[in-house]
Amino acid sequence: MAAMMQSAMPTSEPGYSFSQAPQSVAGGPRQHGFYPYTDNGGTTLGITGSDFAVLAGDTRSTSGYNINSRYAPKLFKIGGTGSANEGARIVLSVVGFAADGNALKERLDTVVKMYKFQHNKEMSVHACAQRLSHILYNKRFFPYYVHAILGGLDENGVGALYSYDPVGSYERETCRSAGAASSLITPFLDNQVNLKNQYDPTSGSGLEKVTKAPQPLSRQTVEELVTDSFTSAAERQIEVGDGLQMFIITKDGIEEKYMELKKD
Amino acid sequence: MNHFPVGWGRPRDDVYGAYNPSYLPQSHGGTQANPITHTQSPIVTGTSVLAIKYKDGVVIAADNLASYGSLARFTDVKRLKQFNRKAVVGFGGDVSDMQYLDRLLNSLDVEENYGGDAPAESGPHMSAKNLHAYLSKVMYKRRSDFNPLWNAMLVAGLDESDKPFLAYADLLGTTYSSPSLATGFGAHLAQPIMRRAVPNEAASRELSKEQAVECIKECMKVLFYRDARSMPVYSIAVIDGKGVDLKEDEKLENQSWAFAEQIRGYGTQTV
Amino acid sequence: MTSIGTGYDLSNSVFSPDGRNFQVEYATKAVENGGTAIGIRCKDGVVLAMEKLVTSRLMKKDANKRIATVDRNIGVVSAGLVPDGRHFVSRARDEASSWRSTYKAPIPVASLANRMGSYVQAFTLYSSVRPFGITAIVGGFDAETEVDVDGAVGSGPKVGSGGKTQGVKEGGPYLYMIEPSGLYWGYYGAATGKGRQAAKAELEKLNLDPKKGDTISLEEGVKEAARIIYVAHEDSKDKEFELEMTWISAVSGPTKGRHEDVPKELKDEAERLAKKALEGDDEMEE
Repeated sequence: MAAMMQSAMPTSEPGYSFSQAPQSVAGGPRQHGFYPYTDNGGTTLGITGSDFAVLAGDTRSTSGYNINSRYAPKLFKIGGTGSANEGARIVLSVVGFAADGNALKERLDTVVKMYKFQHNKEMSVHACAQRLSHILYNKRFFPYYVHAILGGLDENGVGALYSYDPVGSYERETCRSAGAASSLITPFLDNQVNLKNQYDPTSGSGLEKVTKAPQPLSRQTVEELVTDSFTSAAERQIEVGDGLQMFIITKDGIEEKYMELKKD
Repeated sequence: MNHFPVGWGRPRDDVYGAYNPSYLPQSHGGTQANPITHTQSPIVTGTSVLAIKYKDGVVIAADNLASYGSLARFTDVKRLKQFNRKAVVGFGGDVSDMQYLDRLLNSLDVEENYGGDAPAESGPHMSAKNLHAYLSKVMYKRRSDFNPLWNAMLVAGLDESDKPFLAYADLLGTTYSSPSLATGFGAHLAQPIMRRAVPNEAASRELSKEQAVECIKECMKVLFYRDARSMPVYSIAVIDGKGVDLKEDEKLENQSWAFAEQIRGYGTQTV
Repeated sequence: MTSIGTGYDLSNSVFSPDGRNFQVEYATKAVENGGTAIGIRCKDGVVLAMEKLVTSRLMKKDANKRIATVDRNIGVVSAGLVPDGRHFVSRARDEASSWRSTYKAPIPVASLANRMGSYVQAFTLYSSVRPFGITAIVGGFDAETEVDVDGAVGSGPKVGSGGKTQGVKEGGPYLYMIEPSGLYWGYYGAATGKGRQAAKAELEKLNLDPKKGDTISLEEGVKEAARIIYVAHEDSKDKEFELEMTWISAVSGPTKGRHEDVPKELKDEAERLAKKALEGDDEMEE
């Protein structure tokens, strides 16, 4: 994500008291311009199990090398009642441009709440997932600059996870990481969740090797994978740190967990 | 018609004459006025705004300078605006956009007081949290229209349950909240000092008003030392359960420029 | 009524041969049936008070306010048709806010009264409309100190060219009354509605003319206003009523230049004194 956007890095240009420094072309005439996006860093992660879904995100918000806030959650309950979303069963995580993330969250939340008033039943995760895709795609010429992950339980009570690109392309997956440290976490998840490059030790060598088949993970294993992912990401990615927020969605509701991460 | 695909389906020049582009804007070879343009950069600007939460409320400060580039153009500009008895907004960035927002907030306050006619000491009031939600939506709407209000601002005050509230909003619609906040240069120079006083929410619940004011004053001094677009006269407001205490003509105290002797470089010294 | 059967009262804006506009006069009748409204211009502020007749026991006390805020420093109270009063207030708010956006400063009470006078008068000119069934009392306080123009930057030169002349006193309390015809005057004390005669008689006894010595203070004004509403209510004693009262002081005064409800303690005290004064009168009569 960071590579896609220009973040405010220290330059030889005069400093301004707002985040958007003038864009200048070396040697050429200076052109001031308004760039409507910024990157607020951070990383999100979602993993599903047979009867739960876990969504997690760090709570740091950044602008370039600055830490804006050590607690700016990227995880939002969607639906339920009131501004606290009581009784919600769907969680949205957004990483990228936080202002767009908030706008997207508010839109989706309104849609899900309206759905309940109009149809007298809770919106299913897969319906919500498709709706989110439409919201993103409708703004494809001025996109919400976010990587969204939506989590919940499907009609069979199985953990459901949907991941999106900024213009609404989406897919149901068992596991996905997004944001600043996704390139660090993804290979770890490939190996630990989807058992990539893991072989049955009893099988032969070379072409005889048999890959291990991924199995649904237990909740405890998933939570450990999540915390390991984030503590490791916080070591290597400067935009990740401060706090780890985790939402575990089960048939009993949404359980929230919080733990500290490195603050440096 | 010729064999070039670009000419297919177009009126023939030899029959109808050359295409008359006069209805197009100048940028496209026409004679019409150019399309609507919006602010591309700020002109007269204010520098940092600082604020810190303490156990009963929030302290916020900003200097009284409005710069025209590097020129210290206006030296008595009040950049802290009291909204009501629960909220103060501190503006950084473009001053004309600040004036627009001030007028917007004034009319909002007038409308808020149409009903109720509540005496100042009681009755419902828009909380700082409500105000921040409103302001950030205005900012986000304007950036989405590619017509930004070129400001970074802090909203300081009390939320609906009279707890200290502090949050940031800027020209992109970005928002966040923290026990201490600073815009502009202050994010680099003052925020680390303030975070020493309030590393987290728990620490801000322990901080006294005097400690908070002292910390802010110290930070204003550091900013004056190092920010070339700053001045030593500033406004400071304390918002707590008793209301807003706004002072708009404070002067930096106990400055010490001794450190300047130690600075080497920038080509002025020979040794 | 001389107008009935002549036909000159059937359409708005039509004069009778003796130069009267009967529709306007009928509108005035609507005002005379409404609860009494008064305004007092005191030395350091303005008080507005309303005798709010209780039309149903099912209505919540202290709700359904009849005195409205038009701008921070201006209030309006009216007697007559309540919905007409609401429309009047709505227009006044639009005038005040458009003045603000044009001149970047609050509207002076005199200018608001002028604009509303013109507006009300326009409703006497066309057969397609009817006059306002209200008489409105507009009270406000134009700031004496220089109010910052909205969004102002800097205070300008202190002395010399462009500097301000020191010691010039401007602003102060203002009170206007606008009738269904569009007629409006500035007043020291104004009364309208059912009990206006009694109220005017009481108002005339107060020291309100600054040319005739010291005028009453705002706090005294509040107490007098409460008493006058109680006096005015004497003729319709069978009906229950609620007293509604607002005030506007200077920026240095108790309301800080704003139009607000009179605080509960002061209002209770004023009502207590008003009741006591009336009981006193009764005893003397007996």
